[in-house]
Amino acid sequence: MTNGTVLSSRVRLARNYEDLPFDTGKKPEEAATCISRTANALALSGLGDGFQLIRLNTLTDTQRKALAESRLISKDLLREPETAAVLLRHEDAVSVMINEEDHLRIQAVRPGLDLLGAASACFRVDDALSRQVAFAFDKQLGYLTACPTNTGTGMRASLLMHLPMLTVCKQMGNVGQIVAKVGLTIRGVYGEGNEALGNLYQVSNQVTLGRTEQELISAVTAVGHQLKDMEAVLREKTFTTSRVTLEDTIFRAWGLMKFARIMPLKEFFKHWSGVRLGAELGLLPVSLETVDALLEQCQDANLQAQAETTLSGILLDAKRALTIRKALK
Amino acid sequence: MLCEECKVNEATYTLSVMMGDEVKTRHLCGECMAKMNMTLNSGNIKNLLSSILSAITGNDTPAEKQQEVVCPRCRTTLSQFTKSGHLGCPGCYEAFHEQLQPMLLQIHGRVQHAGRQPLATEDAQRARSRQEQLTRLMEQAVALEDFETAAQLRDQLRALAAKEAQA
Repeated sequence: MTNGTVLSSRVRLARNYEDLPFDTGKKPEEAATCISRTANALALSGLGDGFQLIRLNTLTDTQRKALAESRLISKDLLREPETAAVLLRHEDAVSVMINEEDHLRIQAVRPGLDLLGAASACFRVDDALSRQVAFAFDKQLGYLTACPTNTGTGMRASLLMHLPMLTVCKQMGNVGQIVAKVGLTIRGVYGEGNEALGNLYQVSNQVTLGRTEQELISAVTAVGHQLKDMEAVLREKTFTTSRVTLEDTIFRAWGLMKFARIMPLKEFFKHWSGVRLGAELGLLPVSLETVDALLEQCQDANLQAQAETTLSGILLDAKRALTIRKALK
Repeated sequence: MLCEECKVNEATYTLSVMMGDEVKTRHLCGECMAKMNMTLNSGNIKNLLSSILSAITGNDTPAEKQQEVVCPRCRTTLSQFTKSGHLGCPGCYEAFHEQLQPMLLQIHGRVQHAGRQPLATEDAQRARSRQEQLTRLMEQAVALEDFETAAQLRDQLRALAAKEAQA
């Protein structure tokens, strides 16, 4: 019953060059130094194969946003597209963002619950770079970052989780408290403010200083397991006490996703969660991979990038509905 | 007692911030407390940082009269940092050490790094092997009682060590 509650695991490391000011995104000259230094260092290290250097100003606005929707780059990297760049290895979703809040953000994403896998991919890049270049590091404070909330390991380890039952049963407040007690934080991934569209949450470490990377990863992993178990218990309970209601929600979502001709983004997220739950419970004839892929394909910029034209309003929502129907055939 | 923030209304709240073993206390009226709460709850880290800092330092002295701390490397001022929540360069950590230490403790609960360190760069490795080579040559020279060469090698070693200390 618990299969697939964790969609993906992500680790990112913040790194800065000792001799450059922090906000290189706003300083074209230093930004250029940052890009060439990083690209050269990676090439010299022998790890450069497979990495592609993409300067964000060579992409269209839609292409940039599509990269962020796919979580290969952060939304923050889009703030200064003229000076930002990314070294991207598509095959296993490893990226080195350049001129973000910090000079470098080394990031790796792995499917399912695999923070260790994501972390070791980041560490390989970190080690390769640190043999070539000097990062700002202090024996007492660790890696020095632009914002004191990242000082120390500079590491943020996060899990993307689908928690529909905890949400429906109004348990997310409790969950927030449990998570905060162990120095972690949980928030909705999509939507404004406190919204959590698609019942998708990101749980990650809040603290970065004074604990080793392994300790932080263990803490996030442990909480990931705990939330997975809490969600499973509620699913089990709902399945026995109000099975018809649960099935109705899932099959209504399935019906709308399979047949609707116009699908606004918010409505998509709502039904996506129903279909995801149905797939997790083995009630619907669709794989988790197909459902998860929709999450990326059906967001605005990805739809537009695919259509190779700017769509808006009803045209965009119709394109979304079509994409869903094709995938769920 | 008047509110320490607006200095108009009667203070009805006490705000305490734990900093290590020390507790800093401020007295605020309902209005100012609500503002502070809003900043704390908005989830905006920039506001959170500046509210922590202003709660700690208080606003008793007008900003222009406060002694401004400036980072000698990038010229970022302490008030710029508290406003934006972002430091200007790695050198700011040393320049604002006194203010940063309690802030880091507040955020992370600890101020001693544990975990990974950068590997020695190839330059540093090359320097180390050069150092080893010079030391070997010096020892050989001493063994051969060629003190002039040994002294030259010793000076080279010192220069190398000084250069490394600077880096």
